[in-house]
Amino acid sequence: MNSVFQRPGWRVAALLLPAVVGLGVFTIAPALVSAFIAGTDKTLTGPSFRWVGTTNFRAALHDPDLAQAVRNTVAYCLITVVPAVVIGLGLALAADRVARGRSLIRLALFLPVSANLVAVAVVFSYIFSANPDALANTVAGWFGIAPVDWLGNTSTALPVVALVGGWRLASFVFVVYLAGLTTIPVSVREAADVDGIHGWARLRRITLPLLAPTTVFVAVFATILTLQTFETVAVLTQGGPLGSSTTIVYYIYKAGFTGSFRIGYASMLALLLLVAVVLLGVIGAAVGRWARARVAREVTL
Amino acid sequence: MNASGVSVVSRAHPAISPGRIVSTGLRWAFLAVGIGGAFLPFWWMLRTAVGPPQNVLGLSSSPLPSDVGFAAFPRAFEAAGLGPALATGIGVSIAITFLQLATAIPAAYALGCLRFRGRAVLFAVILATLLVPPQITAIPNYVTISAVGLADTRAGLVLPFMTNAAGIFLLRQYMITIPPALLEAARMDGLGTWRTLRAIVLPLSTPAIATVATFSFLLSFNEYLWPLLVARSPGIATPPLALANLVSASGGFPDFAQLSAAALIISLPTLFVFILAQRRLAAGITGTGVGAEG
Repeated sequence: MNSVFQRPGWRVAALLLPAVVGLGVFTIAPALVSAFIAGTDKTLTGPSFRWVGTTNFRAALHDPDLAQAVRNTVAYCLITVVPAVVIGLGLALAADRVARGRSLIRLALFLPVSANLVAVAVVFSYIFSANPDALANTVAGWFGIAPVDWLGNTSTALPVVALVGGWRLASFVFVVYLAGLTTIPVSVREAADVDGIHGWARLRRITLPLLAPTTVFVAVFATILTLQTFETVAVLTQGGPLGSSTTIVYYIYKAGFTGSFRIGYASMLALLLLVAVVLLGVIGAAVGRWARARVAREVTL
Repeated sequence: MNASGVSVVSRAHPAISPGRIVSTGLRWAFLAVGIGGAFLPFWWMLRTAVGPPQNVLGLSSSPLPSDVGFAAFPRAFEAAGLGPALATGIGVSIAITFLQLATAIPAAYALGCLRFRGRAVLFAVILATLLVPPQITAIPNYVTISAVGLADTRAGLVLPFMTNAAGIFLLRQYMITIPPALLEAARMDGLGTWRTLRAIVLPLSTPAIATVATFSFLLSFNEYLWPLLVARSPGIATPPLALANLVSASGGFPDFAQLSAAALIISLPTLFVFILAQRRLAAGITGTGVGAEG
């Protein structure tokens, strides 16, 4: 072991250098610069800017449009992440028990992960068109619902955008759970078979508790992903009508890169988003550690 | 594999009860609905693309097109400038994939197989960058890229994505499972740091490398926000951007057959890569233990 420590330092440095430079220049430094710009009144077009301290932060606290974007994003996360986790888990459990045709089923259910969100958003834009003959309105008609202008209505625009996000997220959740299921020891499965534990009881008492670390990972990661929803909003609704489908990231884009190009203010909003994401990540890591420790205890028992 | 282990066990207990049949039926019904849901947008894309022209005033919701033709494809190709867009998109994505592998493989090897002071701290810092949302770096990166005169160039589309912390993490997770005895044996045989990477670590890590390469390609090909900021002139629009431009150019009366044809065309490269790689993908994700450890 000691001899391994004696490797010349420059070799290790050479191996690490490209990655460290890349991350330093394009992730770490920009994050720090962003934190600085957040305290200025910089605009994208103006040549000069000055330090304004906490002005942007206080403006954010009293920005009704931001409050709406935050409410929209929280609602979006809830109606996307929860169903996606339930459906993705259900599909993974169902696919895991299939003996023949597994790889075909897997391929079909992986497809949404590879999908181009702009392309899918285009398709959803006419599936949910206001036209009474559009697919969504035709299906709604079967249930006696009058045609709806899905994307032009303040109460349906966000759910339609969330449907596109949830469609892809469920597929991602499926992928991760399928990998998670392979980590359940065969011995545990065999023991459950021998004891005749099947169906609901097996799911509740064996499979779900053993999958708990995967669930924590999926929930946190899926939430962080949905917090960053952008292109579906840009293509489907541009945040409208009346801001009803504006997510936080779309609002940051609008503040920084359109209108009066308020880069300083947009950076402050991005910084607040970073704080939220880091908090989520830290909480997720702690809960994940706890869940793993519990699983390790139960498997050895 | 676990899967075959389970099926052997269940065959040993042939409990064919009515409950069992119902649950098997429900399982298949659920899978069928899931697969149908996964396919629906792709199907709708295809069926609209090969159907007659449609706009908001005249839409059809029959699952099959009334008339099959391929006229919308050349129209879409022309209108959205998909030729140059595909060339840009594929070129940029390959360049990004190559750069990400070139930066991630050595770093993952150092972090996973070598011992040096500060390793844990460095790894933690790299992991922490995963939490930085791309939107927070977009603004300063835009300023940097413009300052060095790379705005509106292909190099400007590539450079900010040269490293992929998630890729480093995935590869490192895979490489730490290489038995230390093997690396020690290589050292005893006189293989240096670099040749151990090339002769031992690299061949053993192929599944994980394939996974990272596939995701690098998929994500960079589908990337929307950064090209939206950087690719100002239509000549270097990436495929998603070209499609979005076509949508906004068609105003209130878009021809959905044409839009669907464009959407289908830009979906093909990722679909192709994905189908090629999917078998390895599952192995790569499982081997890294990400499903369990996060």
